Amino acid sequence: MNAERQLKLQAWVDGELPEGEARQVADFVKGDQEAQAMVGELRMAKTILAQNEPEVKLPESGEFYWSKIKREIERLEKAEAPSRPVPWIFSWRRLLAPLSGMALIAFLSVVSLNLVHDNEGDESLKHLVEVENLSEHVGSISYRSQSENMFVVYLYNKEQETEKDPELEPMDETVIQ
Amino acid sequence: MSQRLFSRQAGGWLLAFLLLSATAPPTNAAELKLEAKLIWATNDDKSPDPNHKPVDAATAEKLRKVFKWKSYFVVNRLVKVVPSRGSNRFELSKQCTVEIRELEGPRVEVKLIGDGKEVHKTTKALSKGEWFTYAGDDKNESAWFVIITELDEK
Repeated sequence: MNAERQLKLQAWVDGELPEGEARQVADFVKGDQEAQAMVGELRMAKTILAQNEPEVKLPESGEFYWSKIKREIERLEKAEAPSRPVPWIFSWRRLLAPLSGMALIAFLSVVSLNLVHDNEGDESLKHLVEVENLSEHVGSISYRSQSENMFVVYLYNKEQETEKDPELEPMDETVIQ
Repeated sequence: MSQRLFSRQAGGWLLAFLLLSATAPPTNAAELKLEAKLIWATNDDKSPDPNHKPVDAATAEKLRKVFKWKSYFVVNRLVKVVPSRGSNRFELSKQCTVEIRELEGPRVEVKLIGDGKEVHKTTKALSKGEWFTYAGDDKNESAWFVIITELDEK
């Protein structure tokens, strides 16, 4: 019996042949002992397989089981990703954030140092003075003696203003020099 | 992923701290040791008050270069520490008190209190060697001075 006929018999046993062809094969099997023996073996094998096929039960729900497989596939794909060649511009992008942060810190440090230096060097800021009269009866005159390194706030009684030294003119209540 | 998030957060906080510290103005917080002197001036050679002591020659010379009076006498002298960002009172006489507060900058706020009432307030930087002086007329063509200086020793 050639291989083609054997396949036909197998298809007939499995019920896969069209009705007309199945009838022809059935007639052939009735008149051929070798074919009958082979059909018998095929039916026996089919029965054994159908009854003894191992049934595997999943330890968790099907959705969870397949999602685990999906995650594992994604993980493996990601792990493989770095091995792929990437353009040099993308590799520089990873360093861009820390480099820009460091550049910003360096810039601010230099600026703040300059500010400190400027403040120290600016004598006018040291001479900034705010004077305020807290009594309505008292006026004040403030002046600086550069030669003696002395800052003077001279107070006078406003009610006796006419008697004071004409060179000492009163200033506003609040003076910022 | 959580480790990466932590790193980002930590980096953010670090950056914020550095920004603040870099942009914050210098405060130079420090306590001040100050001397406050109450001086009485007259054109007479002697003070009628026997408790008054003449100022030293250098002080008298310096005062004469700025003011018109001939003789200067120490009524009281106090040395006190003004704590950083705090204040202290110098009671120089029953009538005269100065309250000094240390501020950012560094600057000082000097408040003159006469007979318990606030009379005047001055806010300025006080550098070493500089004299900050409150002055005013007194009876019989005399005058009073409150001189505040920062002492070197701590």
